Amino acid sequence: MKKIQRPLGIGALVLLMIGMYLVIQAPADFQQGNSVRILFIHVPSAKMALLTYIVLTISSIMFLWKRNETADIIADAAAPVGAAFTAVTLATGSIWGKPMWGTWWAWDARLTSMLVLLIIYMGLMALRNAMDDPQKGARATAVLAIIGAVDLPIIHFSVTWWRTLHQPPSFQGSKGGIHIAGPLLTPLLVMAVAFILLGAYLVTLKSREVAAQRDLAAKDADAAMEELHD
Amino acid sequence: MLKAAYRIAWKDVMGDLRRRATLSSMVFFAISVLVVFQAAFEPDRLEAARLLPGLLWTTLLFTSLVGLGRVFQAEEEDGAFEGLLMAAVPRGVVFFGKWWGNLFLTSLVVAILLPLTLVLFNVDAWEKIPAILGILFLGTLGLTGLGVLLAAMTQAARSRETLLALLLLPLVAPLLIAGVQATGAVLGNGGEAGPWLRLLLIFDVVYLALSPWAFGWLVEE
Repeated sequence: MKKIQRPLGIGALVLLMIGMYLVIQAPADFQQGNSVRILFIHVPSAKMALLTYIVLTISSIMFLWKRNETADIIADAAAPVGAAFTAVTLATGSIWGKPMWGTWWAWDARLTSMLVLLIIYMGLMALRNAMDDPQKGARATAVLAIIGAVDLPIIHFSVTWWRTLHQPPSFQGSKGGIHIAGPLLTPLLVMAVAFILLGAYLVTLKSREVAAQRDLAAKDADAAMEELHD
Repeated sequence: MLKAAYRIAWKDVMGDLRRRATLSSMVFFAISVLVVFQAAFEPDRLEAARLLPGLLWTTLLFTSLVGLGRVFQAEEEDGAFEGLLMAAVPRGVVFFGKWWGNLFLTSLVVAILLPLTLVLFNVDAWEKIPAILGILFLGTLGLTGLGVLLAAMTQAARSRETLLALLLLPLVAPLLIAGVQATGAVLGNGGEAGPWLRLLLIFDVVYLALSPWAFGWLVEE
């Protein structure tokens, strides 16, 4: 973990700087003006909010299946990182929505499912924190992560039926093609890669913290046992 | 196998009916929610007819939280949960027993809630009672299925009732949307009931297939 942390961090930083430079250089959109620039943070962060949940679900399955403690540490670390990406997505979307849609918030399909995703991330963290027995907490959280993974497509699909205001996805249109002009596409791709590295860096960093805390808790327990024996 | 599940459900339901604990508190909680809605929105006849689907489903959702908080309470108090798990049946069967017990009580509440709401809010939809009851029951299947699983999950947690609500409400969002829309369609508020009923069914099937397995992972020692 420690070995890959630094290259990931440096890579994320460099790409973010290049990406931000490209975003500033890119021409303003002819309809959206300069507001379009916030989408270079909004879109990658929305992708990362989902990608982090996928990582969390896979680690949860690995933990339940193989009883692999590392998988549980990664699941533990991924929850706050995913919640942060989801919150950034909602905040940047709101800021963009005010001038474009004329409102901070609308109960549109994708906004609603993103908000539910944020609550599920919060629920995962709250459930783990509320358990006195870390083993039980790990198992309950892993099961909840899987239930959430099953529920998210159903939520998405039900609110899409319910109401839709959001424009079609930027990356895959109805025909599966990419319909973004070239000068805007390059910075978007650079930012997307930068966000993937950033996410990986944050999960690694948080995993090391979680592992260190667990070591400490185990040592505390050992010390307490020894004191009892003396 | 099924007999074991049936026995667990029977034990829960009979115990509850004798002590009149969960069922009566659910019914009175549902009435209180209706009173609060009436005081907050003061709907006239027309508004009441439009609000009715939302009223029914939110009341059902909040009321089910009261019942779900108690699914494992009796075992918890007597420390009998381990005993239940030691029964010589698969864990999924224990889940089905617990689920059937909760499903039975919640369905009773639903059967009382619907006519009561029609009377209290002065809505003339008496001939549509069987259709609405059917939709409510379809929703209750998935709601209690997921709910009992989450109750097992939060059973060992601190402040578990709050946690149960925090986890259940976002996860049942699709069920709530589908239930409200289907009920609205039946009441003639516009839209078609068909696709929403299909969504309710998908939710039920997914959770009732997933929950027994998930329950097994949860309680594994």
